[in-house]
Amino acid sequence: METEDYLGLRLDDFLDRLSVGGQAPGGGSAAALSVAFAAGLVAMVARCSRGTWEDATGVAAQGLAIKDRAAHLARTDAAAWQEATAALHRAGSDGAGERRDFELEQKLKRAAEVPLEIAELGADAAALAALVGEYCDGAYRADAAAAAALAAGGASAAAHLVEVNLAVREGDETLRRARASEQAAAEAAQRTLASFR
Amino acid sequence: MSQLSALSDAELVQRCRAGSTDAWNELVERFSRYVYAVCTRGFRLSEDDAEDVFQEVFTRVFTHLDTLRNDAALRPWIAQLTRRLCLDSIQKGGREQASAEPLAEDLAADLEEIDEAFTVREAMTSLSDACKEILDRFFARDQSYRTISEELDIPSGTIASRIARCLSKLRIELEGRSEPPDVSRK
Repeated sequence: METEDYLGLRLDDFLDRLSVGGQAPGGGSAAALSVAFAAGLVAMVARCSRGTWEDATGVAAQGLAIKDRAAHLARTDAAAWQEATAALHRAGSDGAGERRDFELEQKLKRAAEVPLEIAELGADAAALAALVGEYCDGAYRADAAAAAALAAGGASAAAHLVEVNLAVREGDETLRRARASEQAAAEAAQRTLASFR
Repeated sequence: MSQLSALSDAELVQRCRAGSTDAWNELVERFSRYVYAVCTRGFRLSEDDAEDVFQEVFTRVFTHLDTLRNDAALRPWIAQLTRRLCLDSIQKGGREQASAEPLAEDLAADLEEIDEAFTVREAMTSLSDACKEILDRFFARDQSYRTISEELDIPSGTIASRIARCLSKLRIELEGRSEPPDVSRK
């Protein structure tokens, strides 16, 4: 199943596709891009603070790495979601069978693993945004706070997608990690935003 | 890190010339990934052709090591030799292989990327084990701060700063390196 590379699209084309019902991209891709936006902002703020902050270049490099990974996951999530949806349809139309059940379970698990990665990247982006907010050039602190809020939003959205996945059950390690990432991102964002109040 | 892996290219060449088998093994170990990457990722040779070129490169390095005028220029010499042998291999393959040949600009970009990766890998050998470990986990293995924190037993809130400082050290190391001229006679 081929999924288009969203990174090659114009932004307005991507937003148009996002608003079309019933097909990818969906919430997971949007969450991934929120995290990518956040990490991109972190990199920008760090780069603009190189004159006053010794670690700025190294922090910018981490922001860029997170941005690239998160952006890549927009497509990966859409592909995993489409495959899981197709497997669900097949299971519904062909009836149950051991092999079919196994295939469905695998596809659903994969569809939970990708948002978990997005949630963890969101936690990292939020942590980096908090660090940047503390040490960056004052002129860019508002951008750092925006990055933290976006990262926390992306992490929360992705954690929710893990939680509602049919293959994930209460007590699963996947769910524990997703919730921990959501919480860590939220705390980092709150710290950053609170410093303005 | 073994003692030999800490040697500079020039020191390694000198030990190879003196007949040290361990030094020769270290030289092959140091450059094998690079040579293989140039063959497969740069020139997109088949596995068999890449293996042939790989063997030929190291055979020639072994037999012509005495002709290298500047011992520090080992890497550009091996790079040049590998590229020439890859081109020979493509020419020998004839038209059948032509469709798989990379475009000139793609090739240049790929080779530049391989060179950069190799330079960074080399520079990383000068870092402390702790720095190597944390950079490898974050940039090569794509591990999250939480995973790094748990596995290395380091406070999560300090990971990003540690990575940044290790990157600063790596940058200083890279800035201190200058590309030696290619002065082999062959």
